[in-house]
Amino acid sequence: MLIRKRMAAALVAIGAVLGAPGVVAAQECELKLGVVGPFSGGAAQWGIAMRTGVEFAVLEVNSKGGLPVGDKKCHVQTIEVDAKYSAQGAASAANRLASEKVRFVMGPVGSPEVSGIKPVATRYHMLLMLNSYAKNAIGPEWPLAFHVSPGPSGWAAPLVEVAKEKFGMENVVIIAPNDQGGTDIAPVVAKAYEQQGIESTEEYFKRGTANFSPLVARVLDINPDAVDLVSTPTVEAGTLVKQLRQAGFEGPIGKLGGPGTEEIARIAGGMNVLGNYYWFEPVLIDEQTEKMTQRYTELAGSEPPDHTFFYLWAAGTRMVLKAISEAGTIEDTELVAQTLRELPVKDKNLGDGLWIGQKFFGINQELSLPFGMGIIEDGVQQPMIRMPAATGN
Amino acid sequence: METVLSTVLIGVMLGAQYALLALGFTLIFGILGVVNFAHGSLYMLGGYLAYAAVAKAGVPYPAAVVFATLGTAALGYLFEVWILQRVVDDHLATLILTLGFSQVIITGVTMVFGHEAPRFTFPIVGNVAVGSLFIPQDKLIVFAISAVVICAVYWLVYRTGFGRAMRALSIDRAVAITLGMNARIIFPLTVALSAGLAGLTGSLITPILSLSPHAGESVLITAFVVVILGGLGSVAGATAAAFLVGIIEAFSGVYIGGSLGTLGLFVLVIAILMFRPSGLFGASMRGA
Repeated sequence: MLIRKRMAAALVAIGAVLGAPGVVAAQECELKLGVVGPFSGGAAQWGIAMRTGVEFAVLEVNSKGGLPVGDKKCHVQTIEVDAKYSAQGAASAANRLASEKVRFVMGPVGSPEVSGIKPVATRYHMLLMLNSYAKNAIGPEWPLAFHVSPGPSGWAAPLVEVAKEKFGMENVVIIAPNDQGGTDIAPVVAKAYEQQGIESTEEYFKRGTANFSPLVARVLDINPDAVDLVSTPTVEAGTLVKQLRQAGFEGPIGKLGGPGTEEIARIAGGMNVLGNYYWFEPVLIDEQTEKMTQRYTELAGSEPPDHTFFYLWAAGTRMVLKAISEAGTIEDTELVAQTLRELPVKDKNLGDGLWIGQKFFGINQELSLPFGMGIIEDGVQQPMIRMPAATGN
Repeated sequence: METVLSTVLIGVMLGAQYALLALGFTLIFGILGVVNFAHGSLYMLGGYLAYAAVAKAGVPYPAAVVFATLGTAALGYLFEVWILQRVVDDHLATLILTLGFSQVIITGVTMVFGHEAPRFTFPIVGNVAVGSLFIPQDKLIVFAISAVVICAVYWLVYRTGFGRAMRALSIDRAVAITLGMNARIIFPLTVALSAGLAGLTGSLITPILSLSPHAGESVLITAFVVVILGGLGSVAGATAAAFLVGIIEAFSGVYIGGSLGTLGLFVLVIAILMFRPSGLFGASMRGA
């Protein structure tokens, strides 16, 4: 008898929930957004910041009752899969998302994941908004793959120009890991230095190297004016800076390959050890990014990670959701891709930009927004320089 | 000539660090027959224990090194008594268990300290001038400590009753037990010694290089190369191989560089193993 009463009460409750108009609308249209990235392991910092950025853009849309798609308002749901910064992890993530009929994927980040996900995503006609510095990250063969931010082919040249003006170097040694994450980026950055009349030499090391003493001795033998660590991961970059300075290298050190300066300074032993140092920051931290932080805290009830990828991926997700809305479909990824290509690049917080990539990748699918350049002079951090959106020329 | 001398110096310094690391790794294999995949994680844990003692408790660095050594040794002891001892003769089980132990340490450290590298630097900086060469003081100190510890381990294994018991158990456990040697006492102490050496190395090296939850992964590979080249289980072999690997790595890194430099080390290791498949001093300790 008691069980029957409970069942009846449960049925009444379910009926009431199903009767709510908002829930009916959400059930009529639900947009599944895949989120693939490294959520554990050494690159987790990137993945977690990326995932939070995507969640922010989704929270913004859902807090307004959903995403308008045609005559419906769609509730956006994220399905997050850890790719563990590996090709097989990303391929397996894409297969899982395909089984759940996900058509739009934010991520992954990093070259190994991107090379793993693209074949599977292409087979299932998924639209990807990814990030990788690999020279084949996007291209005409993958018309549904977009870059959330330009690679070094976009931003290296303007940054080198500022660095040369500031530090006046005439030759530079570029140090990078000897895998795709390094060998794809180092020659591009080297070319940017050469274009400014700065002679460059490339040196590579095995990823995971703990002690750089032999490499440091080799670099010092070249006697460069500057050293650029490009895409060297943060921990290795910190060790390299520490060992370079300890060995007596006093020239400027660049990191035209990504943020992580605070961690690098911690490993090296402080800002004073960095000395003269410059780096690429994908997003300029200002009052606009502060607004994004505050809004996320209001919506999610917690603070976002302290990493610029949060803002970058929020902007990228906003663009994808806008394209889906304007295309009026949550199924036809080709139509959404076409709409996305034609959308003016405009973010309410990060500013105006443009689509680039034709010159380097052969396809105009890199989302280029204003970015930043960080500079430390004599161990003192200077105000970040605002750089206009890269044109890729 | 100056470059050659400085390269030799780099190689010797690297060798001292590798020797310290490889000694513990080879001891545990020599005595117990266990390939300890948690050795790299114990190295990393030693670094974090020293860091926590210095940064959180304000302990002077030398005392923090002692704390890290004893802390990792105690953990190794308990791991052997509670877990490893039950399956010590099952090679597959010990392999999986040490791998699992490694993951537990990495995850635990990440949960407590986060995944970002903390600020942890050696308290003494600067260089000592020897002729035209400049030797970093921190590496010189580590070299001196390594030399003392290597001698101490050698003395312990080859000149004491405890060492004789260890070697007897490794050569023929059944006979050694019949003669009154207690594996239930010797084995945990051996694992504690091995773990303590890893912790000591981590607490000395990570402030010179870097400290992060994954810092032990690359050093485990180096330790593996060293002990295989020296001969699994051989203390003298591990020491000789560590210096050989250090010198080869330094010369290939300085004079060849890049991927070819890395390849050079492994080509030489393969060449040596082709002529001496059990390593330079292979099977001089382990017979059981």
